[in-house]
Amino acid sequence: MEQVSVQIKTLPADSDPFALRAARTIAAWYNEAGIDAQVVPVSEEELFRQVLLGNDFEMFLARGRGWNVDPDSLYSLLHSRFADAQGWQNPFGFVDLDVDGNLETQRRVTGAERRKAVAELLRSIARSQPFTPLVFPDDIRAVRRDTYTNWGDVDLQTPQGYLALQRATDAEEDGEEQTEVLRIMSTDRRPTENLNPLSAEYRRSGVVTGLVYDALGHVTSEGTQPWLAASWAFDRTTEGPRATIRLRPGATWHDGTPLTTADVAFTYALLSDTSLGSAGETGETDDDAAIPAPRFQGRAGLVSDVDVVDDTVATIQFVDCSPTVAARALTVPILPEHIWTERTDPASMAGIEVSQATEALVANNIPPVGSGPLRFRRNTPRESLVLEPFPEHFLADPDTTDLPDGVGPPPYDRFRIQFVGSDDAAIGVVADGDAEVTGTPVGTDAVPRIGRNDGLELVISRSDAPYLVGYNTQRAPFTNPRFRNTVARLVDVNHLVSAVFDGYARPTVTPIQEGRWVPSDLEWDETDGNPVTPFIGSDGEIDGGRARQAFRDAGYQYDDGRLLRGS
Amino acid sequence: MALVDVLLQVGLVVGIGHLLGYWLLLGDPAARPSGPAQGLQQRVAGEARRIQRNLRAVVPTLAVLVGVLAVNSVVRDIGVELSWLIGLNITRYIFLLEGQLVAVIQSIATPTLTAYFGFVYVFGYTFVLTFPVLAYLLTETLQPVRVLFTAYILNYGFGLGCYVLFVAYGPRNFMPELVEPLLYTAWPQSQLLVQQVNTNTNVFPSLHTSLSVTVALVAVQFRESHPRWTPVAILLAASIVFSTMYLGIHWATDVVAGAAVGWASVALATRVGDESLVRAVRRWRDRRTDAASK
Repeated sequence: MEQVSVQIKTLPADSDPFALRAARTIAAWYNEAGIDAQVVPVSEEELFRQVLLGNDFEMFLARGRGWNVDPDSLYSLLHSRFADAQGWQNPFGFVDLDVDGNLETQRRVTGAERRKAVAELLRSIARSQPFTPLVFPDDIRAVRRDTYTNWGDVDLQTPQGYLALQRATDAEEDGEEQTEVLRIMSTDRRPTENLNPLSAEYRRSGVVTGLVYDALGHVTSEGTQPWLAASWAFDRTTEGPRATIRLRPGATWHDGTPLTTADVAFTYALLSDTSLGSAGETGETDDDAAIPAPRFQGRAGLVSDVDVVDDTVATIQFVDCSPTVAARALTVPILPEHIWTERTDPASMAGIEVSQATEALVANNIPPVGSGPLRFRRNTPRESLVLEPFPEHFLADPDTTDLPDGVGPPPYDRFRIQFVGSDDAAIGVVADGDAEVTGTPVGTDAVPRIGRNDGLELVISRSDAPYLVGYNTQRAPFTNPRFRNTVARLVDVNHLVSAVFDGYARPTVTPIQEGRWVPSDLEWDETDGNPVTPFIGSDGEIDGGRARQAFRDAGYQYDDGRLLRGS
Repeated sequence: MALVDVLLQVGLVVGIGHLLGYWLLLGDPAARPSGPAQGLQQRVAGEARRIQRNLRAVVPTLAVLVGVLAVNSVVRDIGVELSWLIGLNITRYIFLLEGQLVAVIQSIATPTLTAYFGFVYVFGYTFVLTFPVLAYLLTETLQPVRVLFTAYILNYGFGLGCYVLFVAYGPRNFMPELVEPLLYTAWPQSQLLVQQVNTNTNVFPSLHTSLSVTVALVAVQFRESHPRWTPVAILLAASIVFSTMYLGIHWATDVVAGAAVGWASVALATRVGDESLVRAVRRWRDRRTDAASK
């Protein structure tokens, strides 16, 4: 019989300061346990194409999304009905009826009942391990302290963070006649080539497209709050909750076309089927042939119907769920009907079959026409992207009052993202005064460098997006939950935190941060580590004998120290 | 802008290098027809005329080289996408082959060595590629400059082919816990320049190695015309080749493959490169003028 061999796909050091080191450390542990593990570095866009779109992987190590916002985000991540879907919709191909049941329950119930369902859900996945959450890293950034004063207080992982910056007063005085440019160094070149909010492989956090495209609501610590919508009110029909949405008056697209509720209705229709019903053969039902937008399939799936009342008022009917869950659907970007209605034809592209994609999913969407606070100015592919404030945005209107704390019109005349090959170079440019901030997080080597430089300030923020090891649960040996549970025990997350993350990360048992939703039995234990899948060994050293015993207990055999594939 | 600063620095240093090289390495009175009594002005004027004459003669080859470079810069962008599609990701095979060799090489690192190898990687390389052009344009025969240009063309051709066929990340990207990106930590801004001409998935083979080896081999082949340049070229080329590994940018495998590409390019360029290429271009030009006059 053959030895178990796996390829771990991950990002090279240039794109991610930690992923490759973590993957190599894990591969070494696997090798100790008799698994032939190799690390394959792949560019970010290609990794997402292979893992999220093409299902072409055995294991991957990368950062997930911020599932912390609401546990219902786990619905599309893990529900078996998305096992064949693209994007972050169950990329693991995971099927577990208990998990499905708890995912469905937590949608419908509230309060203590919902917490119980979420706790059960988290317990199930901690045992069955569709993926192994590793750590929540700290995002480290270098910023120049002389231009903006409140870097440490804004959340640069959200579009709103870039709208809440406050210019230093002296910078304002001598800059009166000048064009103020917010210069951002990024090790991610994708926004310079593609601004399509629907492209799963081109988006990381969606901050840039989030500045160009407004959503009806935005996420705050108090739940979803109105943004492009002036207000909304929920009531309930027999089917589920219903929201009456009122748009802000005078909303317009960047090309001057008025933004109406027809665009809102169009957006939800497009997100659930980007072919708008034109794909598929005769005889297939609409659902079979639908080509949903991978990035928003989960949220768009909460909406069953949108009714346009007039240009500024619409009602949105949701599927059976609680209003809190329903409101998540209001955070998708609203797209202009007059542009995207032309993009429903099938398209072909690397990694996606022709029948699986429409123009809407593969268009680079440059120049983008959004309704957000920043509009496109110019781009040089692989080099830079320049945005500028949109003067007709509601943020620029002095009559707008109900804004979240600190958020206002952009305090700069240009928003410029410049691609740079590595985080070292990014910090170098900021240190030279040629940029204000490293937009993408940098590695821990940067911490002393930033500290030594007088003009630089170190900004460390806790991140919601965990590093995780994902398994393709439809490919042997990862089809077996006992196998996954056992390989999870080959990873010493405490050791990763100290050796790879230099302490700038918090280990985790679940994809959601400890707090409201995580039951105490799933909390990380300072000394014993993971309570569900404890490390087989200590201090980063595998206990070989115990590891082999664990695999034998799971029904596997060894030959001369090599773990063999099951019969 | 930081990139402009880096470009200016490189231009300035390499320009000074050319002047120094011109004085110290090419100033061989015996090889010059008019002898030592001649004044500086006459020497420069005479050589400018010779450069002009030689340049005119190699225009076809030069045009092909410029064309290849232009195609290279366009195809590099598309090539990256294409190589993810059809290319083979060989990073892990290279690692299986040579393991942590580059990390062992880096264990000798000192700040002085890093400064030296960083300098030759950026400035030395630019100098090594450009200086022989000047040197061979000054020689009586056209053969050296033709062989040089043809070998450059072949290098880029081989390189481009490999970059489409293979995806490979360098050691600094694959084993960051063992290999430091020494150049970019010591001089971060240099990456702004390097990323203009390189993509981090294109490390196999090392074009730094193949082109440096090419220049060294051509220098040995035509050592009669500039005997003092030959040892300098060899020393510089060896330093550049080593620097690619020392700085964590290339694997030893890339270097071996690069040296093979360099050797093959010079061998090919010497045999067929010059005359047949020129004839082919001439034929094509004649046919066009024929066609135009009809």
